[in-house]
Amino acid sequence: MSSVVVVAPIIIANWPAITAAVTAAVATMGFAVARQGAEEHQAATTREEIEVEDSEILEAAAGTDRELVVERDGLRAVFRRDARGALRVCMEGNGYSKAQMRQIGQDLIDRVTQQYVYHRVVTELKNRKMNIVDEEVTEDRTVKIRVRNW
Amino acid sequence: MPKEELEIEISPSGKVTMRTIGIKGSRCLDYADLLAQIVGREESRQLTSEYYQAEATVGQQSHVKQRR
Repeated sequence: MSSVVVVAPIIIANWPAITAAVTAAVATMGFAVARQGAEEHQAATTREEIEVEDSEILEAAAGTDRELVVERDGLRAVFRRDARGALRVCMEGNGYSKAQMRQIGQDLIDRVTQQYVYHRVVTELKNRKMNIVDEEVTEDRTVKIRVRNW
Repeated sequence: MPKEELEIEISPSGKVTMRTIGIKGSRCLDYADLLAQIVGREESRQLTSEYYQAEATVGQQSHVKQRR
């Protein structure tokens, strides 16, 4: 071994890339896409907003607002690009405390971030003709990839 | 030819740790730079003994050439 580097993720992507990452990631927590596009939400007794740190959603050419709603057992998570261009998640539902919502929302964000990073790493390695020779997911959901440059 | 590999771990929160294996000298830093470029912000970087051994070998070879 000759070096070890640790890199924190920064999400910089257009809306379709975010949509793909969210759709793939939230399914692992039992959430399913409810609908896409900006519409009025039904009243919910509890809401919790979480901004995804180090994120920038590139504005669409049309400049329209975008959002993606996922649901599980009456709990909704609304992913959207906020006014500053960051990714934001609004948790909405009945029968959950704010702390519970924040915890579930952070878990969703972590999975979306991991999915985004995985897709980006694999795509960039393949673009550089590097070969993935082994891949596994451990019990704690860490993804391990072994790569050779030939 | 010694095996050259990258071991990449993506944590559940998306943080990435990469170890280079069998990659001599400063070439391993090129891969570290590449990963930072792909993923985001570099938090830490450690160079192991293999890195310095490889650099020393290169330095000795360079010295011999100069004496000729």
